[in-house]
Amino acid sequence: MLQIEGLEIRFGQTTLFRDINLHAKRGELICLTGQSGCGKTTLLKAIMGLVTPYKGSIAVDNILLTPGSAPIIRLKTAWMPQGLSLPMDRVKEMVRLPFDLKANKEAAFSEEELLCHLEELGLEREIMDKRIHEISGGQRQRILLAITAMQDKPLMIIDEPTSALDQESSRRVLQFVQHQASRGKTVVAVSHDATFMKGCKRVITLGHTPDRTKEEHIYLG
Amino acid sequence: MGTTIDISYWGLCIGMLLLLVPVYYFHRFRTGLVKATLTGALRMMIQLFLIGMYLKYLFLWDNAWVNFLWVLIMVFVATETALSRTRLKRSILMLPIIVGFLASAILVGLYFLGIVLKLDNIFGAQYMIPIFGILMGNMLSSNVIALNTFYTDLMREQQLYYYLLGNGATRHEATAPFVREAIIKAFSPAIANMAVMGLVALPGTMIGQILGGSSPNVAIKYQMMIIVITVTASILSLMITLRLSFSKTFDAYGCIRKVFKE
Repeated sequence: MLQIEGLEIRFGQTTLFRDINLHAKRGELICLTGQSGCGKTTLLKAIMGLVTPYKGSIAVDNILLTPGSAPIIRLKTAWMPQGLSLPMDRVKEMVRLPFDLKANKEAAFSEEELLCHLEELGLEREIMDKRIHEISGGQRQRILLAITAMQDKPLMIIDEPTSALDQESSRRVLQFVQHQASRGKTVVAVSHDATFMKGCKRVITLGHTPDRTKEEHIYLG
Repeated sequence: MGTTIDISYWGLCIGMLLLLVPVYYFHRFRTGLVKATLTGALRMMIQLFLIGMYLKYLFLWDNAWVNFLWVLIMVFVATETALSRTRLKRSILMLPIIVGFLASAILVGLYFLGIVLKLDNIFGAQYMIPIFGILMGNMLSSNVIALNTFYTDLMREQQLYYYLLGNGATRHEATAPFVREAIIKAFSPAIANMAVMGLVALPGTMIGQILGGSSPNVAIKYQMMIIVITVTASILSLMITLRLSFSKTFDAYGCIRKVFKE
């Protein structure tokens, strides 16, 4: 589903990381971890072509990422960024945002499905009637995770899904993500949360300097 | 209807004395606006006298090519003004603004002169110069607000843009919220103004025509058309400018480049 070969990302003259290799099969749940600033989020963005690779290649579902193919690859990705704050007033408006896109016309928005996901994630249906500023960061993360899953794309990319959650909620998020992977979706997540990491098929640690960039594959599954 | 009464230079000087009233209050409340007001007034006088001279010759020659050259000069001056007021990089916006202003002014201006007014000579100075001038002034002010809003919001809310892109949006879809906001900010005042026109304030074109000797009936019709053509040309120029600037605002992957001057 996802093949990254010899990837190097640079910002100007600064190399963030080099020689990153990653292969993920359909239905795999992979966690990226590492110190702050080592490039985990950048790596996620690079998969969608939101950061331009300096060297190496990225392919999603056997489509090589190029300027021309980036929009096609993005049709296969559902992304949940870290700490996303959307300029909407109400939760009801926020949850519909990705479903207004042409790319998601096939995955028509279903409030029933959303409520079902929210329940799995430990949220009550009343949250839908709230204003965004009335909900906590953890609640927002879980709502975004639910709508990411609802897009029904083959590759889910999620950044720090449990950073604002207690242990019980983290466990629920993990189960939810595992369930998505069991349905054949490939999930690539960034997390520092030990509970979350323990439930992933593979954990990949990025080094904190480009020269010491290495991958440690821990197979727990 | 009668002819317009000329203002003598002596009368103009006496009239200008009225400026002392705002200057007094600006000084009294230490607003720091006195120097700017006096400089602005001086510049206004010089610029208008010079334009009066240019216009005198433009009207005298009444040559289509000279008039078109004058329109080109207005476009370049308007472009420079827009660039300096938006702080955006010249390499990104100069050409899109020029094309946007010129194409919209020609399309809408000539539509009005040729189809609505049915002029025999649509390139005649008497109509072409003032109509293109009023279009240019309105396009400039609405474009400055819209471009500032679009680019400032895009840079501040990059997260939203990338979120939409990463979830399958086309670049058009991902920029739509920012374009929408820019249009609302730039055009709301004009729309609100349109709704109260004639009730709260008498618009400039209408007053000018009445003072110039036209009947109020003619003045009203001109005023309506001026509002319609300025709003149309402004939105058209904004859309052309944004569309053309996108190739330099975003890289081949759709990522946002640096658009503001350092």
